[in-house]
Amino acid sequence: MLNEEKIQSYMQSLTIEGMTSIVKDVRFFDETEPEILKADDEVKIVKTACRACIANCGVLAYVKHGRVVKLEGNPVDPMSRGRMCAKGLSGIQALYNPNRNKYPLERVGERGSGKWRRITWDEALTKIGTHLMETKEKYGAEAVFCSTGGGGNPEIWSIARFCNIFGTPNWFEPGCAQCYLPRVLSYTMMYGGVDPSIADSNALELYFDTEIKCLVLWGTDPSYSCPSSGGRAVNELRAKGVKTIVVDPRFTPDAAKADVWLPIRPGTDVALQLSWIRYIMENKLYDEEFVMKWSDLPYLVDTETKMMLRPKKGNGPDEPDTYMVWDRKTNSMQPLEYPWNDALDPVLDGEFEVDGKVYKTGYRLLWERVEEWTLEKAAEVCWLDAAKIEEAILLYTKTLPSGLCIGVATDQTPNSVQAAMSACIIDCLVGNVERPGALLQRFRTSGTLRMPNYPVPQATKMLPKEQLLKRLGGIEHKGLHIWWAGHPTSILDAVLTGEPYKPHMWIDRSGNKFGVVADAQKVERVVHELDYIVHVYMYPTSFSAYADILIPAAEWLETDMLVETCNMLVARQAATHLWEACDETLFWSRLAKKCAELGHENCKKAFDPEFMGEDLAYWDTMDEFFDQCTGKIGMTWQEVKDKAPFEYLSVDDWRTYYVYKQLDEKTGKPQGFPTPSKKIEMYLDSMITLSRTGQPYAAYELPPASKDYDPLPYYLEPIEGPYNDPELAKEFPLVMTNGRVPFYHHSTLRNVAALREMYPVPELWMHPTDAAKYGVAPGDWVWIESLRGKIRAKAYVTEGMRPGAVCMERFWTPETLNTKTHGWKEMNVNVLTKASAPFNDVVGTYTLRAFQVKVYKAEEGAPEGVWTKPEDFKTWLPIGNA
Amino acid sequence: MKQYIILVELDRCIGCHGGCQVACKTENQIALGPSRSKMYTMGPTGHYPDLQMYFMPVMCQQCENPSCVAVCPTGACYKDEEDGVIYIDQDMCIGCQSCMRACPFQCNFFNKERHVVDKCTICVQKREAGEMPACVRNCAGGALHYGDINDPESEVSRLIRENEGHVYTLRDDNGNHPSAKYILKNCDWIEDLPFEFEKKMKGEM
Repeated sequence: MLNEEKIQSYMQSLTIEGMTSIVKDVRFFDETEPEILKADDEVKIVKTACRACIANCGVLAYVKHGRVVKLEGNPVDPMSRGRMCAKGLSGIQALYNPNRNKYPLERVGERGSGKWRRITWDEALTKIGTHLMETKEKYGAEAVFCSTGGGGNPEIWSIARFCNIFGTPNWFEPGCAQCYLPRVLSYTMMYGGVDPSIADSNALELYFDTEIKCLVLWGTDPSYSCPSSGGRAVNELRAKGVKTIVVDPRFTPDAAKADVWLPIRPGTDVALQLSWIRYIMENKLYDEEFVMKWSDLPYLVDTETKMMLRPKKGNGPDEPDTYMVWDRKTNSMQPLEYPWNDALDPVLDGEFEVDGKVYKTGYRLLWERVEEWTLEKAAEVCWLDAAKIEEAILLYTKTLPSGLCIGVATDQTPNSVQAAMSACIIDCLVGNVERPGALLQRFRTSGTLRMPNYPVPQATKMLPKEQLLKRLGGIEHKGLHIWWAGHPTSILDAVLTGEPYKPHMWIDRSGNKFGVVADAQKVERVVHELDYIVHVYMYPTSFSAYADILIPAAEWLETDMLVETCNMLVARQAATHLWEACDETLFWSRLAKKCAELGHENCKKAFDPEFMGEDLAYWDTMDEFFDQCTGKIGMTWQEVKDKAPFEYLSVDDWRTYYVYKQLDEKTGKPQGFPTPSKKIEMYLDSMITLSRTGQPYAAYELPPASKDYDPLPYYLEPIEGPYNDPELAKEFPLVMTNGRVPFYHHSTLRNVAALREMYPVPELWMHPTDAAKYGVAPGDWVWIESLRGKIRAKAYVTEGMRPGAVCMERFWTPETLNTKTHGWKEMNVNVLTKASAPFNDVVGTYTLRAFQVKVYKAEEGAPEGVWTKPEDFKTWLPIGNA
Repeated sequence: MKQYIILVELDRCIGCHGGCQVACKTENQIALGPSRSKMYTMGPTGHYPDLQMYFMPVMCQQCENPSCVAVCPTGACYKDEEDGVIYIDQDMCIGCQSCMRACPFQCNFFNKERHVVDKCTICVQKREAGEMPACVRNCAGGALHYGDINDPESEVSRLIRENEGHVYTLRDDNGNHPSAKYILKNCDWIEDLPFEFEKKMKGEM
């Protein structure tokens, strides 16, 4: 029976009752002057860490009467050194936003009608658990899919873990296929260490005195993506005279401060990279000693099988296979036992025929791949000046040690993995590997975490083989198995087509799936096909409007997390706790417990420490979970929290260079790199193995993909680009790209007044010649239209955008959540993006950038109901007066 | 006499809007809309792809000869003899906004609710507590500095000495003699006042 009194409209249900007991005597961004804190007021300082984006900058949270009143950077933090950015500093407004999700809510009335009633946590878990069990019973566990992402994710593996234990192979993050995973996969396979992404809190070499002399920022702008950590560090390096090269179609702050700016045509990065590789090879700018002794380029490849010759298999993981080289002295093929044989004189660049079969060195095959990519050709394809490309390459290769940081831009087109592979090859060719100053490093870790800053064990063994085989997109795009993930488009298409089977239930923890998944219209078609939708988040988003149950997740100021920042252990610790919000990592544990109660066998086992072993039994509190991590260094979580942040190693002990040269006690040989050959694998034949078997990442051997993955990078012209589809480009003449602004992370924080007042609506960056051509004046509202839809934005006409291309950040508007657009149809660039094929072969990336649009003046002006003036955002200010 | 100022190393400002915008507004409880410091994007100038751009936070310039003080009819707006900072006594201000019109740099704003004019005090409440101003404390680029330019030992005096030939003040048409300093080495200094320049960029002039 419905209690009519409990039925409230969507927004009403989310306004605060009893707020005065929480807000005592401090106002935020209120209309009046400050009350300066009285000296005798007791203020507690909680040493915590931010999570407004994926960085973890150290924070001092000032708490008075249980209320967070001020945030400051913690000066001891090795990455942020006491600084905070706009996103982090506005954490108080995010925390006390009147429209937070406060209690579990159940939809009453039609989906999307905005009618909700409050239910208890146990009711919510019982309802979700019952639907989970029914769906499993009726259609199989694979008919449930879960997702995460959308910014500031505290812990993504808690979702993967739940899915493995529940028995569904289908979870996804937009971030897997098109953000970061392409880089993680490529660097892991080729180098075996950590990728050099600054925005992902890597490139740790940059945070202490470093010998680096030249830094390439390729499709990344740390000034905007992570101002207080990476942006700050890069800024310090520039001040010390480090040269920088920026590859970006947008004149970002980092581009403005660069020595060389290459304003590339969006989506053509691999073409430019192949020209760099060619130039380095042709002009012998590579580190010959390193390439010869520490890479696989001298090894011989069977040109028929495309696999390297392996005359002798390694014995166990410590001993690599033996490979073949062509010995110049004997003019014959000879096995080269790891690590090196001084008796041999291997040929680096060669092609040889033995018994009618043709063998080539890895080097020769790489050369053949890049041979066509002269500077002139790259300049033509990438819309650059050949002399500028050469200037950049010479600066990078002659100003050693240098390093190439590749950002998210290249992860967002179907050429994603190849861009990361090429970037890795460039750094490895010139020897920017594990020497002081290089970005590719394997510094030591505390040992408390299996994976840096994502502590939850995935429990992959809990997912049976027959379920893994059902992973949507998992056979074709096997690179996703490195993160045990499914393929977004394959999952959403399965809902719409029923092929190969139809998922029925979706649990999502993320900012706004309509804001961050390509072709948002498709997401709307998908949600209408589903039986049951759960949304877990800190505040309602467009996605909530379509959900059946809303679960209140905690903000970062309300949660704990074990964080490792360089040589320090940092604790994110709750500064306060509001309403019935729950740490989302704990939510999945509570849900598993409910499923266990309802009879789910694997969920029952997941609470048995003996059965779970290394994967850890599920936890009833976060303390219980963290104790198991920090126990590895002999401390309880409480002890770590009391002491943090603290150095677990001195900088000198932590920062270990040349790890590959260190002797392995077991073998008496240098330990090399964690790759099959123990060398840098620039000719990556393990891509072929991956495509055929899923190894080494899938838990079981999988059937082959429809074609082998290529061991070398290749260039893919943007599918809707002017060269690939000239007819289309006549109607849609401008190429669209995206990029960060310093106010938001992915789809987060659009509900924060302090940020929206500075950046209320998205800008469309456009060059004056394009603006003139299409009748757009500075500040005009414009329509932007692609093959898939149209949206509006405000024109920012600037010389700082490469002609022929436009750029826009993703956007949604909480203020129109309760209208028929649900806030995602007005200015959301993902209405325009392409979720369909072609996909990247290895990981399934679709087209978020480098597609064609047309732009014209919107006579209608701003979209209806969208707030544009600072005072419009007043209703989102924290409530409370002195 | 002391003269406290904010000094900005413009080559280090990365335009992040963190310390000088959000931290300032939080610390000083400023309503939505106005701000004690404004962030101007000075560029891009030139023609693609040969461009220059720098970011410029502008707050009260702590003039030697402040026109805001000269026009204040009640004496609410005064230059403090101790620290050289210009304050507006909130009890004496009658909200006539003469000082706003008199400021050539558009650094003051009207507080609608309290009917008084508000401005940067280089976070007097923090300085008195021995802490840094909020903008300086949180500036991600490390571009902002504060101190007494009359003290040769201060950080700001040192930076001014070390960067001789690259130290600028805002264009002074009225004899205000702004005390605040900007250091710029890697771009050409734009003579236009930042708000004039912004209007030009938006095509409004």
